[in-house]
Amino acid sequence: MKILNKDLGSYKLHLINTDKFKTVTIKVLFHTPIKKEEITKRILVTNLLLQSSKKFDSRRKLTIESENLYSADIGIGNQRLGNYITTSFNLQVLMDKYTEEDNLEKSIEFLNEIIFNPDVENKSFRKEKVDYVKHDLMVKLNSIKERPSGYASIRLGELFDSKSPFSYRITGYIDDLDSINENNLYDSYLEMINTDYVDIFVVGDFDNKEMLSLVKKYFKFKKIKKPKKTYILKNRNYRIRRLFVKEEINNTQSVLAIANPVYKLTKYERDYALCLGNLIFGGGVDSKLFKDVREANSLCYTIRSWFNKLDNMIIIKAGIDKDNYTKAINIITKKLDEMKKGKFTDDDINNAKEELINALESIDEDENAMINDVMSSEILELDDIKTRINNIKKIKKSDIVKAFRKVHMDTVFLLEGGIR
Amino acid sequence: MKKINLKNIDMTLYTEVLSNGLEIYMLPYKDKKNYYVSFVTRYGSDVLEFTDISKKTHKPPLGIAHFLEHKMFEEESGEDPFTFYAKSGTDCNACTSCTNTQYMFWGSKNFNKNLEYLLRFVTHPYFTDQNVKKEKGIIAEEIKMYNDMPDYKIERKLRECVYKNSPRRLDIAGSVSEINKITKEDLYTCYNNFYIPSNMFVLITGNFDPDIALEIIRNELDSNDKRKVPKIKKITEPLKVCEEKKVMKGNIEIPKIGIGLKISTKDIKLDKFELHLYLDMLSTIMFGDSSLFKERVRDKKILNDLSVSWENIDDISVLHIYGVSIKPDELINEVLSEFNSITVDEESFNRIKKVWIAREIKMIDDIEGMADNLCYDLIKYKKVISNKIDIIKNMKFKVLKDLVKNTNFKNYSIVKMEKE
Repeated sequence: MKILNKDLGSYKLHLINTDKFKTVTIKVLFHTPIKKEEITKRILVTNLLLQSSKKFDSRRKLTIESENLYSADIGIGNQRLGNYITTSFNLQVLMDKYTEEDNLEKSIEFLNEIIFNPDVENKSFRKEKVDYVKHDLMVKLNSIKERPSGYASIRLGELFDSKSPFSYRITGYIDDLDSINENNLYDSYLEMINTDYVDIFVVGDFDNKEMLSLVKKYFKFKKIKKPKKTYILKNRNYRIRRLFVKEEINNTQSVLAIANPVYKLTKYERDYALCLGNLIFGGGVDSKLFKDVREANSLCYTIRSWFNKLDNMIIIKAGIDKDNYTKAINIITKKLDEMKKGKFTDDDINNAKEELINALESIDEDENAMINDVMSSEILELDDIKTRINNIKKIKKSDIVKAFRKVHMDTVFLLEGGIR
Repeated sequence: MKKINLKNIDMTLYTEVLSNGLEIYMLPYKDKKNYYVSFVTRYGSDVLEFTDISKKTHKPPLGIAHFLEHKMFEEESGEDPFTFYAKSGTDCNACTSCTNTQYMFWGSKNFNKNLEYLLRFVTHPYFTDQNVKKEKGIIAEEIKMYNDMPDYKIERKLRECVYKNSPRRLDIAGSVSEINKITKEDLYTCYNNFYIPSNMFVLITGNFDPDIALEIIRNELDSNDKRKVPKIKKITEPLKVCEEKKVMKGNIEIPKIGIGLKISTKDIKLDKFELHLYLDMLSTIMFGDSSLFKERVRDKKILNDLSVSWENIDDISVLHIYGVSIKPDELINEVLSEFNSITVDEESFNRIKKVWIAREIKMIDDIEGMADNLCYDLIKYKKVISNKIDIIKNMKFKVLKDLVKNTNFKNYSIVKMEKE
């Protein structure tokens, strides 16, 4: 794997050269500081771009074109990364040697058509298309409780701090839909194209010069922009008395979700010690939470914790029976205290190190993992992979303990089923 | 070792059958770091009743195959497979379907010892009254988690309407009351009857040496164990759907629909694999992303999500259609009118063939996907299909047209889920 990062002024290009795949993957990533009132519009804009374009004026025609290009699949996604919202357009297509000459270039042209040539008349999107994506989003937002675990995460964020981007619903807001129309959506689209920071990633087996000229030909942004605001969220002070909230849901199972903000992490702790510590605590099936809450006490089927470096937060989630609520919290609290007291073994540390190192060593086996790593390396100014592996090997127990002492259990939310 | 050349994709599959009947399939890659290994028994939730060699008939509680899968992770030494694999940063898991149960591990290190360990832990059950009791709490939470998902509930209901006798009516995990009846004796009975060499296979893809892998498998599993699979009670499923229409309530905001079209494939003179390709082609042309149907119902704003798939058992195939709509009755009528006036066009047929060929080539990069596909074929068609791309290329439009002409599209069940 060879990476060439090139600042082209209006965007950064990352050419990741590898002969491991039969496809070429291109990701165009827009990012901008997140504003709550803009989220719903952003989602609708990206959905609209996949409905039709100037040249292919229906979703069906777009799909047929992608099928004709030997299944040049294009996907769109919106995600919050700390203080930012990112919108990505992904294209994955077979290399020409498996299809026909120029299929790759035609596919890139197709991606260009979707991003830069929207189905617009008189400076506004077409009303019937806007009505459709609004309707579609309304249905999705109305069905949000059908995924109890996802809904519990949303509610947890809002209870933790409703002013923080941590609480923003990246799914969008129903209440915003009424005021959105074909005109203000077009404005929102223009804002994305003209003011968002852009990164373009290309992964595959290609000649760098040829790819560079292809990308320059099809991706032209006018302005020169550089991100200024940090991606890392700063949390409000933690509650001395924890907040416990229950909300009823007409399900049989309950979902427990706990927010544990982290304060004043050093760069070393963020990049290394707490990542490793979280794997020991609740990162997988070999973790303290899994072994104690699930295996030893059979209180749940799923339990896991995630450390989000950009949010300064460890989230814990478990699917439990409501009668086991107190017992589960007691065990989780005890396990968290044990992390702070260093009650874990050298074997625990070594296993977690192996897992982290393996994940780093396997990054070049997966296109998206490579792209994500290049992106997070920029955002978090990470060391190169080799240095990271060496540093992981050196992490000491005392480093983990020190980092875990900065974790504070703050908000405990139970989406309570099994009532009716 | 026998070598099978996988045509058009330039790969070689190595196969071997041990004297006790255990089958081995190995697909080595030159350019991967990772490996994916599964050990599979052809035993799943479809087996409801069987007669062993001593002529004793067993009818264990429902959900036992899945329960058994959970319990295989119990070790007499106290160190479970999760802990063992964690030492080398390797992941492991298991899953149970209607037709098989498989145990997998995947990673990049310690291949030999990891393989040895898999073969040992799956061949050494350790069930006690206490560890069986413990698992009941965990599986009960797993069952509840699924039962809280409206999509899962409507699928269950549709299955109950479509099938009269088939075990496909039932939940793979059983029910809380059924799993509470399971004893360690039941587990040993099922284990001893179905976890036998002649009913199992090992499947390896990715980075490994086939000669070394075969030697390890021989050392661990070559034996004189010539036990045969017990006689499984055959369940005949009538062609007629069990119930035509059902309305149910669910914890949802937007209604959902499920339609199950049940057809006979008894008189179609095609190899099963080819037959299933033609059925997929039919449903893709009718309801796929580039179908006229999808465009029409989207424009009318009566469709949100739609998923379509075939389930093939013996001489019966069922087309499952699930959708979300604010006007469920209209959506149902649209689907039914599609059944009444099926049109297939050659242009779509050829375009979708192209997409499928591209999909087969893209798949090669994914060692897990390749393993899943091979496993599916071995279970479903009891053979390796080495020339898939040729088969797709040779598909004839006339065959599809004849299939449409000779199929009865009037035998279906409809389920509608409304808000509680």
